[in-house]
Amino acid sequence: MNVNVNVNGKAEQRDVAPTVKLLEFIRDVLGLKGTKEYCHSGVCGACTVLMGGKAISACSTLAVQADGHELLTIEGLGTPDDLHPIQQAFVDNFGLQCGYCTPGMVLLTKSLLDENPQPTREEIIRYMGSNICRCTGYAGILASVEAAVAQQGS
Amino acid sequence: MCASENPKQPRVTRLVGQSMPTLEAADKATGRVEYMGDISVPNMAHAKIVRSPFAHARITSIDASAARALPGVVCVFTRDELLADPNMETLYGFVYRDVPVVAFDKVRHEGDIVAVVVAETETGAEEAAELVDVDYEELPSVMSVDAALEDGAVHVHDEFFPIAPELRPRIGTNICHEAQITKGDIDQGFAEADFIYEDSYSAPPVQHCALDRHAVIADYEGDEITVWTNCQSPFPLQREIKRIFGKEARVIVPYVGGGFGSKSRERIEVVITAAAKLAKRPVRYIMTQEETFQTFIRPAYQSWIKTGVKKDGTIVARHHIFTVDVGAYAISGARSANNTLKVATGPYRIPNAVVDCYAVYTNKPPSAPYRGLPTTQHTMSYETQLDRIAKDLGIDRLELRRLNLVREGDIHLTGDWLRNAHTHECLDQVTEAIGWDKPLPPSDDGKIVRGRGVASTIKYTLTPPRQMSENSAEVALGEDGIFEARFGTVNIGQGSDTTMAQITGDSIGVGLDLLRIVHSDTGLTPVDSSTTASRSTYHMGNALVDASDKLKQQILAAAAPMLEQNADKLTISDEGISVDGDPGNGLSFDELVRRNGGPFAAMGECIVGGTWKAPDGNEYPIASTFWTFASCAAEVEVDTETGEVRLVSAAASATTGTAINPRSIETQLEGGVGQEMGPTLFEQMVWTDSGQLMNATLMDYPLPTMQTMPHYEPRFVEHPFDGGPFGAKGMGEIGAVIVPGAVLNAVNDATGVMFHEVPLLPFKVLEALDSHASSEA
Repeated sequence: MNVNVNVNGKAEQRDVAPTVKLLEFIRDVLGLKGTKEYCHSGVCGACTVLMGGKAISACSTLAVQADGHELLTIEGLGTPDDLHPIQQAFVDNFGLQCGYCTPGMVLLTKSLLDENPQPTREEIIRYMGSNICRCTGYAGILASVEAAVAQQGS
Repeated sequence: MCASENPKQPRVTRLVGQSMPTLEAADKATGRVEYMGDISVPNMAHAKIVRSPFAHARITSIDASAARALPGVVCVFTRDELLADPNMETLYGFVYRDVPVVAFDKVRHEGDIVAVVVAETETGAEEAAELVDVDYEELPSVMSVDAALEDGAVHVHDEFFPIAPELRPRIGTNICHEAQITKGDIDQGFAEADFIYEDSYSAPPVQHCALDRHAVIADYEGDEITVWTNCQSPFPLQREIKRIFGKEARVIVPYVGGGFGSKSRERIEVVITAAAKLAKRPVRYIMTQEETFQTFIRPAYQSWIKTGVKKDGTIVARHHIFTVDVGAYAISGARSANNTLKVATGPYRIPNAVVDCYAVYTNKPPSAPYRGLPTTQHTMSYETQLDRIAKDLGIDRLELRRLNLVREGDIHLTGDWLRNAHTHECLDQVTEAIGWDKPLPPSDDGKIVRGRGVASTIKYTLTPPRQMSENSAEVALGEDGIFEARFGTVNIGQGSDTTMAQITGDSIGVGLDLLRIVHSDTGLTPVDSSTTASRSTYHMGNALVDASDKLKQQILAAAAPMLEQNADKLTISDEGISVDGDPGNGLSFDELVRRNGGPFAAMGECIVGGTWKAPDGNEYPIASTFWTFASCAAEVEVDTETGEVRLVSAAASATTGTAINPRSIETQLEGGVGQEMGPTLFEQMVWTDSGQLMNATLMDYPLPTMQTMPHYEPRFVEHPFDGGPFGAKGMGEIGAVIVPGAVLNAVNDATGVMFHEVPLLPFKVLEALDSHASSEA
């Protein structure tokens, strides 16, 4: 089936089988390896990408469901030399250790701040509670999100 | 030798002591870092493993013809191919040769490796794997240590092939290792005791859930085998691959997305290399999350502790017996059990002690270390018993600990003279941080009850029985004027590249801009034993200090004649080599290399083990190169209607020696506490009686999230450790080790019920509260 998507601002058209997951489409068809896989059952959030601005699990979405939508993956947000403010906040506030959950966490933060630019701590915790990190115990991630919120307000 | 054996040498620290994000943080925040699953090599084929559905069975036949006939299938590796190849060893393993490259007579746990299907695509391999027809004759299985120790229990292994001299199997049983450590006279100790307490404790298996699943690429072709893997022990793996295949090997480890012990030892690298040999092209294999649950797990633990105390609370005797369920293969479990004999009595002065350990084969998946295990479970055992003793004797919980905690220079269970043993400071830090003396918030209509608890611990690091070097490092100065630090430590998220850069930069006298890191590649970096047991900062740090010192001497000796000065008049800085008191006279690094006619390089090492000469003039054994001490104070809420326990706040403190990267240390403590609260409160793996895992996916196996996160108060006690690089020692696991004991004690404080097992599942808490209430009534 034909899938037309706008990925990180670039129009992409690919012919894929209807069973192909969006995660495989992003990683293997488009070659964007920043989106990660762990549980493959929509629980851990390592594969979080933004579709139409909303955070979704790419492992639990079919590629054809993205047809006609805008996708944002971690490759579309910032570069090591020109970090997006959310990414800068994760670096400055020790919001990452092994880094495997980080693309998903960064995009989830973007989704949160786009929906709710000034979330309370409780709102942050409820929203960010959908993604798993095994290294940080979440303290650094919460500090990173709060720093990103504060910067947005300034 | 360790440069640090000369601690008097003055050092300027510019990088050491600075809190800095990791060097790779920006690459990770932008998704640019490559993990195993992101790597591919040309002409690569894809593998799927055919796994046993049974916990214990004899393989009666394997028919892979339908799989082989499927278009796109490259080859299928089974016992037939293994046994037909005269140039391949059939068994491997670090401490026992008990792991078959691929199952050839029996399978010993659900998920045991029966065949590898190699195809052009991952989906092709998955489809073909379904077509491999395996007939089994199911055998009785032993799914617990108790079952495995029963008379007449089926034997998981018929033969034992121990290769580690310290391991002692009991032939004809499932006990693959038993050992004892003693101090003083236990009978006399108990005779002197006014009170004796006996308790049993247990903890079930859990999985590490490192998000970066085990994966490997093996290429057998060419002069040497090349293996890319996310294993935490590339050098031992390289030796094992060479032994099994009789061919040179190179092991490359990229950035690893968490290990926590689950990747300590190899399990898939050997069989995928065998498949690549058959395929005659590179083969990649990436596990599913479910398969990681069948690969390495934290073992089940049981303990029985008998403690004798005087009326004033002084501990005079302790007998501690523990079992570790090593699972089907003793890849790690037996040695972990043996190592933690050293710390089973905790950070306490106990003049008379006996500790017995039994490592037992069962039909569970192989066990692996898990961030300090089973020190964590020892700590849970002796710390909760200590609170019971305090309550019974009417002694304050902190005072009982202060009375018995070890101090600097105490002789440990192992005979070691304890150093850097700032146990009292750790305890004071955590109780102050959590506000121990402040009243708890009042109970809301009796529904929520609150309490606090503490736990203290002592942790060892891997230490050889005799003096030797277990790791080296190389530091070089290249033609581009950049210093390159080459070392085997695996970057698993603990910040090792950054710690090593801080140590190397300050050892040479240059900043981070002049440093490049090369890590964990047996083809490019000198030998290292493993990235485990909180050992890297100390061991690799010392090797880098040693290498840097030697490199500096080389550089200064080469520069002296060029600058017509004595070497002792020269200084190394970011600008290059300058002449003291003669600004403007000097050499840039690239110019030095050019005039030298080539780069400079020096090797360093870290010698450990043997004995240590104490201030009293006597030699003491070194059972652990350093000991790390820690305390945790926890505050919990217990919902008496639902049985739910919430960890509200946790303070953790460890004796770290010099803090190379202070914020990084705090985040290790936070991460350890945050990780261990899962197994303490709700994580456990559950099998059916016949050995099928019932909760192998995250939908059935909950993990801590930001919503279960406690408030953290990380602390550290920073007295430089004589012998460590810039005075540092290791601490990567200790944050986890202290959690269950502190939480159980806090729950006891809140409810009056002392639990003897984890996790504190709500229904178990409710049951215990009910029976407590009826016994009080």
